[in-house]
Amino acid sequence: MNTWVFPYIKQFKTRIILSLLIGLLGLGSGAMLLFVSGYLISSSALRPENIMAVYVPIVAVRAFSIGRALFTYVEKLMSHDIVLRMLEKMRNTLYDHLEPQAISLQEKYQSGDLLRMLSDDIEHLQDFYLRTIFPSIFGLVLYAIICIIFGVFNWMFGLFILLLFGVIVFLIPYLSLVRMRKQHEQMKQVDGELYSNVTDAFFGITDLKASGRANEVINETSSIDARRSKLVAVLDRFHLGRDVCIQLTIGIGIIAVLFWTAYSSGEGQFAPTFIAAFTLMIFSVTEAFVPISPAVEEVPMYQDAVRRIEKIEYDGDASEDPIPEIAPTDHVHIEADHVTFQYKQTTGPAIQNVSLTIPQGKKIALLGKSGAGKSTLMQLIAGILTPSQGAITMNNMPYTKDVLSKQIAVLNQKPHLFSTTIANNIRIGRPDATDEEVERAADQAQLTPLIESLPKGIHTNMLELGERFSGGEQQRIAFARVLLQDTPVLIVDEATIGLDPLTEYDLMDTILEATKDKTIIWITHHLAGAAVMDEVVFLEDGTITMQGTHQELMENDPKYKRLYEMDQVF
Amino acid sequence: MKRERGLPNHPGSRPLYVLITLLTIIETVTIIAQAVHLATAISSLFEGATLSSQVPRIILFFMMFMVRHLITFVKRSFTQRHATKTATMLRKTLLERVERLGQAYISKEGTGKTVTLAIEGIQDIENYLHITIPRMFQAVIVPAGVAIYVWTVHHTSAYILVGVIPVVIIFMILLGLAAQKLADKQYESYRLLSNHFIDSLKGLETLTFLGQSKQHGTKIAKVSKQYRQATMRTLRMAFSSSFALDFFTSLAIAFVAVGLGFNLIEGTMPLLPALTVLILAPEYFLPIRQVGMDYHATLDGQIALREVEQLIQQGETVPFTENPAEEIAWNEEKSISFSNISVAIDEQDVLNSVQFSFHGPGIVGLVGPSGSGKTSLLHTLAGSLQPYAGNIAIGRQKVSHLHRDDWLKQIAYIPQRPYIFPMSIADNIRFYAPEATNEDVKKVIAQIGLEPFVSSLKYGMNEQIGEGGRTLSGGQEQRIAIARAMLSDRSVILLDEPTAHLDIETEYELKEVMVQLFADKLVFFATHRMHWLQQMDHLLMLDHGSIVESGTYEELRAKESGAFHTLTKTMQQRRERL
Repeated sequence: MNTWVFPYIKQFKTRIILSLLIGLLGLGSGAMLLFVSGYLISSSALRPENIMAVYVPIVAVRAFSIGRALFTYVEKLMSHDIVLRMLEKMRNTLYDHLEPQAISLQEKYQSGDLLRMLSDDIEHLQDFYLRTIFPSIFGLVLYAIICIIFGVFNWMFGLFILLLFGVIVFLIPYLSLVRMRKQHEQMKQVDGELYSNVTDAFFGITDLKASGRANEVINETSSIDARRSKLVAVLDRFHLGRDVCIQLTIGIGIIAVLFWTAYSSGEGQFAPTFIAAFTLMIFSVTEAFVPISPAVEEVPMYQDAVRRIEKIEYDGDASEDPIPEIAPTDHVHIEADHVTFQYKQTTGPAIQNVSLTIPQGKKIALLGKSGAGKSTLMQLIAGILTPSQGAITMNNMPYTKDVLSKQIAVLNQKPHLFSTTIANNIRIGRPDATDEEVERAADQAQLTPLIESLPKGIHTNMLELGERFSGGEQQRIAFARVLLQDTPVLIVDEATIGLDPLTEYDLMDTILEATKDKTIIWITHHLAGAAVMDEVVFLEDGTITMQGTHQELMENDPKYKRLYEMDQVF
Repeated sequence: MKRERGLPNHPGSRPLYVLITLLTIIETVTIIAQAVHLATAISSLFEGATLSSQVPRIILFFMMFMVRHLITFVKRSFTQRHATKTATMLRKTLLERVERLGQAYISKEGTGKTVTLAIEGIQDIENYLHITIPRMFQAVIVPAGVAIYVWTVHHTSAYILVGVIPVVIIFMILLGLAAQKLADKQYESYRLLSNHFIDSLKGLETLTFLGQSKQHGTKIAKVSKQYRQATMRTLRMAFSSSFALDFFTSLAIAFVAVGLGFNLIEGTMPLLPALTVLILAPEYFLPIRQVGMDYHATLDGQIALREVEQLIQQGETVPFTENPAEEIAWNEEKSISFSNISVAIDEQDVLNSVQFSFHGPGIVGLVGPSGSGKTSLLHTLAGSLQPYAGNIAIGRQKVSHLHRDDWLKQIAYIPQRPYIFPMSIADNIRFYAPEATNEDVKKVIAQIGLEPFVSSLKYGMNEQIGEGGRTLSGGQEQRIAIARAMLSDRSVILLDEPTAHLDIETEYELKEVMVQLFADKLVFFATHRMHWLQQMDHLLMLDHGSIVESGTYEELRAKESGAFHTLTKTMQQRRERL
């Protein structure tokens, strides 16, 4: 709440106050519409000689009726505008928190569900303002105004109204929040169970059907739904009781105002024309109190969203010494010298004592089982991670991920294609590239035949064809993006995974053809193309277990020979 | 997006509608009675009556007031109960239908989308039934009753109240159309803008690797601003229809008040009826304004309802033989043959007159480029796709499809990424054979080489895996799937590129384990990984949904032409070209 709600209220306080004022004018106009209407017909009933006696109320009634609609409209627009402005800021802040930890988050939450959830959470916070905060403030302010008005006439009656409507404005919302918190927690839990059960049912459908256990899951879902229905019933009963109490209070309030105005007019404090005016007005005013309880009851739901967002906040390690930037160069020599790396909160090192010499133009294949440390080593070379021990240098200088897009380009395992045109997707590699450069990169990635086959060519939106782009085509677009960066070093992270062998060979051919003079570090899961690399490196448990040229390994290493022969049948 | 119009019809909804109608009529009566009593009290007090003389009136008002709200809340409880019951029923039916439609349907529609429909879609329906339906009844019955009563008291006011409705409707339609037009015009850019943020977050990793993640922050700011501006443009139009509603209803109340005032001054009517009409005027408009309020909930609910009902209908078309007259069973002496099997998804052929026959145990390899029909053939074998032509023979028994309980009990399916259920390792392994003992599970764990991994875990084979538990590597997940198949001892095993995303060392280790599993079984194995082909007893070369060539590995290798020859030749060429 402290970082994701209050600062935004503070930042937009002028707009918020203005929109509240206008909203109050709207509510006030509604109340005054009835007040003046009551006054008008009461006065008319006295049959004044001249119509001019009720001229002011007649004009006022029309003015308030227009005012009610107009102010409500303006307030609705303003509050939405404020919330969208907040959303804008929140998205930026969230992005700034996520940006430095992008890689580690991706590893922790592979599915990308977390990102979607965070994005949704921020959207939910919009509702928090529109449905909880703003209506509650309206109710409170109107409550205060009413108490003051009655208090001015008669402080004792003002106090009575303060206490009476305090029940709807404070007591019942508080009870709703406290009493139903547990039910809402249980509800969330049940919803979670329902979700995971349905997910099981659909993801595991083949196993469920084949094992004859599909009914188990369906019945389980029904029993969760039954528990959910029970909770809904509990909440519903509470709401029934709560709303009866609210209306009871309002009813008492209306009668109290009727009694008081009748009594006061009998005492001569004001004219009897005000009896109808005040009584009708209170009907309209109390409408603004009703939404407070349901609004406050929803607070725990938003707390969850805030808690999730707060969890990913990045406190930053700005303590690092600034590292001088590497001068732009076509000649890059990377040297890893006894590098060890250990992730925080893990027991063993992920990379242990690895040394590699990568002169400009060398082509290395990096293999290993999942968990052997391939990605870690790749991120160390890319400057994303810094070694715990030992050093990685570029032309004898330490470096950070600032080299990305300048000296080192990475074609990652699942490159994201953004929902924009092919050209824009390629241009993301280097935003200042000219159209010719983008087209040349596309051509080098051998995308020209594909692009020519599309009616809108390179300006085809990825979404329009979406899934019609095959895996190989998508990888080519991603590769063109990387080519546009024209860096001396290229890291390819399992870019051909899941492709059929012909597509795989074609893509590999394209990549190697377009990067002849470049250094290549190719992380791969099998040995297609190993023969054309200058060096093959096997990682196991964070250390290098096999290293050498393809020829050397074929001659000296029976395990390598066995693997290679398995992979190359014809 | 199409939506279902009219009142939804579900079990129990008709009696509910009758009940709601009755309650709403009573509600209307109490609304009128409440107004009359209050107006009477006020006008008497106005004319100088003592407070104590009005106490009975005020008590009557209070009673009517409470009864009126009580009815509203009771009605809400009834619809809530009905909505929850309907949601539970719909979800169960939906699950059953999806289960019947099977893997092929889920692969086509996307698991995420189907889960969303089953959870959020049905929640939308629940809200729709719960909130909108009673309001629709209210919006018709209450204004009608109030208008009739007002007419008996004061004709002009009734004419104003009724007359404003068509004006409101015309304006709302006009503004609604304008808003719709505006929304349509900017729909595409609007969607891009609103999705930009989540798209950026999903691409954050890629942006980091591209060295562009920092600069992208400014783009998010820019696009968010455009999004706000675009949204506000649409909202200005969208809210104008509720403005029109508010404007005309307020104005109508004002006109009623002024009209009553004139009549009072003229002396043509006393205060009491005038006050009654004035109190009733806002009550007349309240239900109409409420219907407009949750327009989106209504729309979402109607769309979801339609989608769910379509899915349920589609599920009914899938044949399923639970108690077949004649059981089909494959065994080592039998052959399986497809004759002229054609399968379509959304009226597009995915398999075209497929024909083959294979006798006894062994491995049948399915080879071909992506989209050639390998997966569709496996889905047909697993029963989740049903052919529209041709027949399948197991031994001498001919069937038109394999979507039957007795066949499902004989197969095990191993996809590229097997699903790991959120339960312990042991329960995952004995998923097909829940009765298997811990000893059996232990034996299988040792066989598939998971022993070192399992013993490194704190809870051993009782360790929780899957969603919310420990995450496994692709190789470990595949071993679990193989263990499942081994323990179940199913005689037919279907595999869909089980090693495509595994590294070569893991694949090498798994290959040995899998060959063990395949012994004496009928195996259909789709793969891109060529080294498996030597293990196969029979190869089916697929292209564009047809079998273009078949035979043993040796037979196909020996050929000088044909699909297999072209494949191997091209592979060699490509490798040499590198």
